[in-house]
Amino acid sequence: MEKASLQFSVSDFIALTNQTLEFAYPSVEVEGEVSSFKVNQGKYVFFDLKDAGGSVGCFMTVYQLRVPIEDGMKVIVTATPKLTPWGKFSLTVRAIRPSGEGSLKKSFELLRAKLEKEGLFADERKRTLPRQPRRVAVISSTQAAGYADFIKIVNDRWGGLQIDVAHVQVQGADAPDQIIRALNYFNEREELPEVIVIIRGGGSADDLSAFNDEALVREIAGSRVPTLVGVGHEVDVSLADMVADVRAATPSNAAQILVPDREEIIRATRRHVQSLLPRAERAVDRQAELVRNKLVACLDTVNRRLQYDVDRLAGLRRVLAELDPNKVLARGYALVRGDITPGGTVEIEKSDILITAEVRNVSKK
Amino acid sequence: MSAKNNATVAEKTAKLDELVAWFDSDNFELEQAIEKFKEAEKLAEEIEHDLSELKNTITVVKQKFDGAR
Repeated sequence: MEKASLQFSVSDFIALTNQTLEFAYPSVEVEGEVSSFKVNQGKYVFFDLKDAGGSVGCFMTVYQLRVPIEDGMKVIVTATPKLTPWGKFSLTVRAIRPSGEGSLKKSFELLRAKLEKEGLFADERKRTLPRQPRRVAVISSTQAAGYADFIKIVNDRWGGLQIDVAHVQVQGADAPDQIIRALNYFNEREELPEVIVIIRGGGSADDLSAFNDEALVREIAGSRVPTLVGVGHEVDVSLADMVADVRAATPSNAAQILVPDREEIIRATRRHVQSLLPRAERAVDRQAELVRNKLVACLDTVNRRLQYDVDRLAGLRRVLAELDPNKVLARGYALVRGDITPGGTVEIEKSDILITAEVRNVSKK
Repeated sequence: MSAKNNATVAEKTAKLDELVAWFDSDNFELEQAIEKFKEAEKLAEEIEHDLSELKNTITVVKQKFDGAR
C-alpha cells in the first residue's frame, strides 16, 4: 500500500525545507569558482559558485565581503543553504575567502591597489616608535611559536617593560575580527600602550590570509597607538605589514625593532666612559701646550731685548774704538805734554817712541 | 629599577650623554674633569646594573576576543 503523501501549503513547504536544511547543514563550506558577480544597490552581493559539475547561487551583504572578489576567482564560502520564498535554492554566505594561490594573490593585489590609491601605505602616515618603550601591547596567539620567539628575544634584549598580551586566533575566518577587537581594546584603554605589536609566525598563504582582511587593515591604519606588525617569514608580505607604522620581517625581527639590546647599550656605555679619560688627557695636553707656548713667547721677548742690548753695546764699542788715542798715534800723529813756554821742556809721544824736547819758541798760528 | 636611584635607564643614559658632551664643550674646566669623570663612571655602573637586573612583566589580558558574550 502506498504511503500517504504529506500535504503542505507552499509557504509551509518552504519553511519546512529550510528547517530541514538548517538542521542538516547549519553551516557549510563550499569551494568553487565565482561567476556573475554583482553588487546591487551598493549593499547586496550576488554571484554563482560553480565547478565542472554544477552551479549554485549565493547571496551576501557588502558588509560581509572582507576581501575583493571577482569573476573567475576560486573561493571558499561559509554559508547556510536556503530555499527562497520564490523557490530558488541559494547559499546565504556569511564569509568568503579566496582559495588557492592564484585567487589569494589576485585578491591581495586587488585590495593592495585599492588601499594604495587611498594612501593607506604612504610613508607620510608612518609614525616612529619610541626608542625605549615602557608599556607595550601584543596581539598574537600565545600558543604560537612566533609569539614564544618574540617574548624570548624581548626578554633577552631588554627589561622593565610592561607587556599586555591579547590572546587571539591568528588564522582562520574568525582571526581578523578577533584581532580587530583586540586592537580596539588596547586603543580604548585609559592608559594607552606606547606600541601595539601584532605578530604571527610563518604559515601557508591561506594561513596568513587573515592579515589581508580589508577591515583589519583599515583598523590597523586607524589605530591611535603606533603599530608594529611582524607576520610570517621574511619573504611573506601582508597588507597588515604594509599599513603598519613599522613593518618587521618576522616576530623575532619585531622584538629586535621594538627594544634595544641591553648588551649593546652596556658596551656603548662602557666605550663612552672609557673615551672620557683620553679626552681629559687631551685637555691637559692642550693646557700644557698653551703654557709652553706662553713661556716660549716670554723667552723670545727676553732674547730679542738681550740681542738689542748686545747690538747696541757693539755699536758703542765701535765708536769707542775710533776714539782710541793710540789709533791716532798709529796714523803718524804725536801727543805733546809739558811746559809749552819758550825754554820749557815737553814730552812728545809717538806710536813707538817718546821724545823729550826743549821749547824754543811759541807763536800763534 | 635600581634601588639606588629612581631615575629610569633612559634618564640616566641622557645624563651620561650630557656629561660626555661636557668634556667637548666650551664649559670644560680641568679642575672639574675628575669629578665629572667619576660621576660618569658611577652612572655607567648604575646603567649596567639596572639593565642587567630589569625584568619584563608579561600579563595576558583576561578579556576574550572571540566575540562570545
